[in-house]
Amino acid sequence: MRVEPETDPRAAQRQAAAAARAAARARREAERAARAARAAEPVAVVDKHDGLVRAAHWAHVPLLLGLIVSGLAIYWAAPVFRHAGTPGNPRGDYLVDVGRELASWFGAPGETRYWLYERLSIGPMQLANALRLHWLFAYLYMACGALYAAGLVRGGGWRALLPRASDPAEAVAMFRYYLGVIPHALAKKPWPHPPVAGKYNALQRGAYLAMPLVGALVVLSGWAMHHPATLGWLERLFVNYDGARIVHFTCMVILGGFMIPHVVLAIADGWDTLRGMVTGWSVRVRRAPHA
Amino acid sequence: MPERVKGPALGARLVAALRRAAAAAAERPETSRETTRGALAKRSRRDFLLFGASVVATAVAGWWLLPERAKRAWLPGAAERLDTLAARVGLTRMQREAKLNRVLTFDDDVAEALFSKQRQVRTYARPDPRPLRNNYHGRTPGPEYLPTWRLNLSGLASGRPESLTIDELLTRFARHDMNTRLVCVEGWSHVVAWGGLRFAELLEAYPPAPGARWAALRSTVSLNGAGAPEPYYVSIDLETARHPQALLATHHAGAPLTLAHGAPLRLVAPMKLGLKNIKALTDIAYTADEPADYWNERGYSRYDGL
Repeated sequence: MRVEPETDPRAAQRQAAAAARAAARARREAERAARAARAAEPVAVVDKHDGLVRAAHWAHVPLLLGLIVSGLAIYWAAPVFRHAGTPGNPRGDYLVDVGRELASWFGAPGETRYWLYERLSIGPMQLANALRLHWLFAYLYMACGALYAAGLVRGGGWRALLPRASDPAEAVAMFRYYLGVIPHALAKKPWPHPPVAGKYNALQRGAYLAMPLVGALVVLSGWAMHHPATLGWLERLFVNYDGARIVHFTCMVILGGFMIPHVVLAIADGWDTLRGMVTGWSVRVRRAPHA
Repeated sequence: MPERVKGPALGARLVAALRRAAAAAAERPETSRETTRGALAKRSRRDFLLFGASVVATAVAGWWLLPERAKRAWLPGAAERLDTLAARVGLTRMQREAKLNRVLTFDDDVAEALFSKQRQVRTYARPDPRPLRNNYHGRTPGPEYLPTWRLNLSGLASGRPESLTIDELLTRFARHDMNTRLVCVEGWSHVVAWGGLRFAELLEAYPPAPGARWAALRSTVSLNGAGAPEPYYVSIDLETARHPQALLATHHAGAPLTLAHGAPLRLVAPMKLGLKNIKALTDIAYTADEPADYWNERGYSRYDGL
């Protein structure tokens, strides 16, 4: 007859706890080892954007926003695009019409006419402050542009922006591709991306080269308006004072308008592209030999 | 006679140079580099932390710069509390005003460094045919002041003030005509046909006291929006006043100045914004220190150089 050894229940609990601790320790160590092994795994990455280009790229977001808002407040003081005066809009400022239309969309209760203007401080009688803010953002914008240009030179990124002979044909192919993406996705039919020989496709290259050029133009037309007497030669470049205002305003629309497709396409392109603008590297390594 | 060795033709050399330039500017193939996941993760963490910190710093700075009424419009409930928090890290409203005014003086310094006293402001063959806008900041004064109007000069080398009638000014000084652009700080502009005496010639006839660097220009007849007397005053440095295109204008579009445009005498300094071009000028005082300026006291630049 076997006699079960008498066991202390508390001792058994202690033994079980010790075993659980040992198992947990082993598990943690295994996890640590797995993490270390994973951390040591080799990856191939491509450096896409120079650090200065990345910093300047993101700094453009608040700077352009500040410039547009303060610039509209300055514009509001004396519009250049005008129709015949109407009741409630005696100067016939198209921007007043746009602002009222936008305000009515938001459907703010009570006095809606100034809804947008109140929030952006681009309403009447804010010219003095708007001018100070505009100069602040303008000097920062110029510094930011210089940083961007320095980054393009340092990182060699400027080469990917230059136009090339194959651009017109490639631009047509890309345009056709973009038009077909959604219909083909809906019909679940394949729609291959046209081959791209380089960092950017022709449409991207055109847009990314245009941005610094329009940026330079907006700065030049700004100086022409700011100092038409001192920089008379620059004012003449835009025909006259109002010419500089029209160019400045048009550049603002282009710079602001660029952001909409740019953000949509960057998000559509995926996390690697978004992360690349923060960290500079991409795991999309082109295997094929360079065309 | 040694035979001249003939190099390749100029055209061929140009083509070769262009080819070399195109090759130097051609996009380089992407080169991948090997690294480890751990090294990448470390770098990404650092970059995203930096990015996040910049976003927070930008948001704080943006809030600090936002005009008061926009703050109240965005966050009517929390604006006060956020302002108190910002003030704790030194971002007070007073600090903001001081910094933004520093931006204004920085921009003035840039303008002053760019401007050359010798440079002539652009003139035009024909003035704008549209009528010139009357942008009197308050109400346009009535004609009551005209019969007793005088230009009072003080701070002169002679030590005693002078008082001149418009007839004295018109007969003693030659009239100069010019078509220049009047540019308003609001953004509108107008090419105007001006006529008047050169400020420089008045300065020669009535020299300021030694050490004077500024002219304080004043109109005692100007009115506020309600029609009550409210003097208007601007500061002009004497170098600008001595510029050959700085006129004490008496005529506009070939006729004596109307009340709307500053009868009988106004400053026309086309190298300055319109707000320096004081209408219905009554007093000029030469001073060593920079005098007060109406719009500078209301948040605008004091240099106003175009």
